[in-house]
Amino acid sequence: MAPIYLGEFEYAVLLATLHFDQEAYAVPIRELIEERTGRPVARGALYTALDRLEAKGCLRSRMGESTEERGGKARRYFTVSAAGLKAIKATHGALASMARGLETILERS
Amino acid sequence: MTSPSPFAERVLAIVVRDPEGRDAVIGDLREEHTKLSARVGAARARRWHTQQSLRIACRYGTHRLLRRGTPPRRWLAIAAQEPGGSWTAGLSRDALYAWRAVAQRPALSGVIVLTLALALAANATTFSLMDAIVLRPYRFDGVNRLIAVASSVPGAPFYDRETVTRADFRDWQRDAKSVEQLAAFEWWQPNLSGIDNPEQVPGFKVTAEFFDLLGVSPRLGRTFLAEESEPGRHQRVVLGHELWTRRFAADPAIVGRTVRLDGEPYEVVGVAPEGFNIPLGAQAWAPISYDAAAWDDRRDTSLTVIGRLADGGSIDNARAEMSTIGERQRTAYPETNATRDVTVTTFALGMNDPGAGPMIGTWQAATGLLLLIACANIANLLLARGGERAQEFAVRLALGASRARLFWQTILEGLTLAALAVAASVPLAWVGLGLSRRSIPESVIRFVPGWQYIQIDFRLLAITALLATVAMLLFSIVPALQATGTEVGDQLRQSGRSLTPGRRRNRTRFVLAVAQVSLTLAVLFGSGLMLSAADTAANGATGFDKHNVLIAQVDLPERSYQDAEGRRRFITRVLESMRAIPAVTESAFTSHIPYGNANTDREFRPEGEDVREGEVRRAAYRRNSADYFAAMRIPLVRGRLFNDGDRADSTPVAMVSHSLAQQQWPGEDPIGRRFKIAATGEWITVVGVVGDVVHSWFLRPVDRTVYRPLSQEVPFRAVFTFRTVGDPMALAGDVRRAVAAADPDLPIAQLLSMERLMENNLAGLSFIASSLGIVALIAFTLAVMGIYSLMAYLTSQRTQEIGVRMALGASWWQVVRLTTAQALKITVAGLILGAALSFALGRLMQSVLFGIVSTNLLQLAALVIGLAAAALVAAYLPARRAARLDPTIALREY
Repeated sequence: MAPIYLGEFEYAVLLATLHFDQEAYAVPIRELIEERTGRPVARGALYTALDRLEAKGCLRSRMGESTEERGGKARRYFTVSAAGLKAIKATHGALASMARGLETILERS
Repeated sequence: MTSPSPFAERVLAIVVRDPEGRDAVIGDLREEHTKLSARVGAARARRWHTQQSLRIACRYGTHRLLRRGTPPRRWLAIAAQEPGGSWTAGLSRDALYAWRAVAQRPALSGVIVLTLALALAANATTFSLMDAIVLRPYRFDGVNRLIAVASSVPGAPFYDRETVTRADFRDWQRDAKSVEQLAAFEWWQPNLSGIDNPEQVPGFKVTAEFFDLLGVSPRLGRTFLAEESEPGRHQRVVLGHELWTRRFAADPAIVGRTVRLDGEPYEVVGVAPEGFNIPLGAQAWAPISYDAAAWDDRRDTSLTVIGRLADGGSIDNARAEMSTIGERQRTAYPETNATRDVTVTTFALGMNDPGAGPMIGTWQAATGLLLLIACANIANLLLARGGERAQEFAVRLALGASRARLFWQTILEGLTLAALAVAASVPLAWVGLGLSRRSIPESVIRFVPGWQYIQIDFRLLAITALLATVAMLLFSIVPALQATGTEVGDQLRQSGRSLTPGRRRNRTRFVLAVAQVSLTLAVLFGSGLMLSAADTAANGATGFDKHNVLIAQVDLPERSYQDAEGRRRFITRVLESMRAIPAVTESAFTSHIPYGNANTDREFRPEGEDVREGEVRRAAYRRNSADYFAAMRIPLVRGRLFNDGDRADSTPVAMVSHSLAQQQWPGEDPIGRRFKIAATGEWITVVGVVGDVVHSWFLRPVDRTVYRPLSQEVPFRAVFTFRTVGDPMALAGDVRRAVAAADPDLPIAQLLSMERLMENNLAGLSFIASSLGIVALIAFTLAVMGIYSLMAYLTSQRTQEIGVRMALGASWWQVVRLTTAQALKITVAGLILGAALSFALGRLMQSVLFGIVSTNLLQLAALVIGLAAAALVAAYLPARRAARLDPTIALREY
């Protein structure tokens, strides 16, 4: 099967999910992306991206425990699937190959 | 811990459908909210939470709405990979492209959808009214086989239903072969008494065939037998279902019991089925009964005749046959039938108010024009968009797309827009119908058959969808043709640089804009005519003072008040007890009040004038007390008012209206002249002339009225008019007591202020007029929007050229003039065409609406100026923007 194309934001979401291993859910994912990219992330956009990635088969989700501070609502944890990993690699590879030969310029700026 | 807004969470819960996702999103926000409120305080955290929830709801909602399986971007990829595919796959792919094209330009699509939706809603509303009231006001089995037959004067503007004499009816019944059954009925408003409050019941006297002809079987009991039309056996009544439930508690044993109507005992023989109230909201039916001599009468035109076509017969057969019968009657009875013709029409038309058809028709025509304006507007917008997309189409053609495919896809885009517009028009039409339903008073609705059918039904939706599709085809074929006519090479070479679009395309847009302006002017003018007609009717000169007058109408039953002295005694008693009340300044009496729903006329045969039978002119006939003129503030022009000298045994006298006097005795003194009201009648002497009065707004003919004193003739119809100090309705209780004291069995048929009476009477007209006003307002907005969008587009196309010109030293004014010149051309051409159109429309309305409107050139001029000003402002705005641009930016960025 051909690898799935990822948008820039989807790519970031998948990477952030990887960072948290089994403990990734929307709140820390968003915080991490904001922190690392320095750009504000709309919550709505994040939820739609998560949905879409799950529909594409890049993410799997499971419901976690519910806590008092969440008003009794459960967390939804995400993990990256094999297909997701493949997509990350493909996107990463594609971007890296685009950047090949530009190292001098990219390093300098 | 403070809790976040439950409202915001509810919104989220609505948008996020799957329960797990919902829990996760709401929980996440709660979690962040808890953290935040520790840091910035409860109030701010709560605000933040609400804001975030709504934002997520919006974003997520759109996502959910658009996501049906594969996202659009993937579709492109798939489409690129499989160029062939099955036909259905191709169709759904095209539909998806169309949807994308529509969704990509939300503002443009929104304007188009809204424009079309407004026009569709206006059409749906009028159509629903037209359908319910004019086209199909009666919906029962076999209504299509029913006809209405009337006698008519040649050249009469309306079908007038109450026109048939008894002898003519008998002839028709005997001779007509193409009509299976004929039935007749006449107006009868009996006073129901003997239980609680007396009440006037809307009723009709009908021939025995009536119920059978309409295919109605009674809910209880039976209908009438043929022999019950003989005098003496006629005191039978069929009660309406509504009356039976309301006044008799739906008593199942009512059949066989006796009720008092007009003071006489009537045996209840049956109860009509629920909902049956033909004609005109009737709730009681009794047999028509006349002796043989009365059935031979060919003068009293009081019957309305309906019929059922014979099997296999058509209405045309019936028409031909009836006119032959009419011809025969003309030769057989030249005395009475010389100028009488027979008219046959459908039941629905025959039973309708004569004015309703043309009125609603006018409205329907206006909304039709509105739809055309909307189409022109949309076509222009789509053309502009087509210009923008020429590049895209050129690329696709170059890549091998077929022209047919592009054409089809453009049409499909139009269909998508049309579908959205239909969806949006339904709630708008619903609101429109709701407003329509509420704007007519209850007392008027009774006279409007079919009112209960005003609703949004499948038929209406189907017609709206059909209209939308036709409109869409109209407005997307031109851009579609242009899209497919693109020359690939040219377009690519132009490479999107902003040249003024080709001549041909410009001409189409010019024509569309001109059409829009001219149609708008016509719609504005037409509605203006109706509005001023309504205004004249409501606030124009009526010849009397409508303020502070209380009206009480009582119908005296013929049998118990057969004696004129009894009637006079009753009237005098009521007048005197009201006169004793200090708040009543004048207490007067008349037989027919202006704007009331009844009228009576008589022949008018002046002394010394020899006219042929059948050409005798008629005049409205009123009987009133001497102080009626003072109470209504109708001025005395000449001579004297009635006085105590006018007694039953003195010379018969009359007063006439100013116009009647002028017509009959031009340039002469009418006082002392004599006339008769029947060939064999006595001479009546004119003693005074009073000012003209408008009796009915609908036909505002010259007022030809004869007034007779109450002392010499006492009518059965009594309308008391009291001029009061302060609110007339405050005296309603006193009037009720006064009438009850004079006769406890008599109900008051109508008790209201003169102003309210006029309002009720004008309800239909003001309803149509204000509806037309709304249509005109929408049309105006659309036209101005159309000019604006066109000018904005044209100017944006020329931005680069403007930049060049400004760089070369053109002044601000020169740029504005350059860009508004075309708008000026459009406006002038549109207004000239529109003025011609308006003039024609004014003429048409004058002929259809019989003198209630008159073409007003001043009004036309004002509208022309107003529309021109609005159009020029719409054109100036984009021009100003262009002229303000920095030339360097204009050159670089456009």
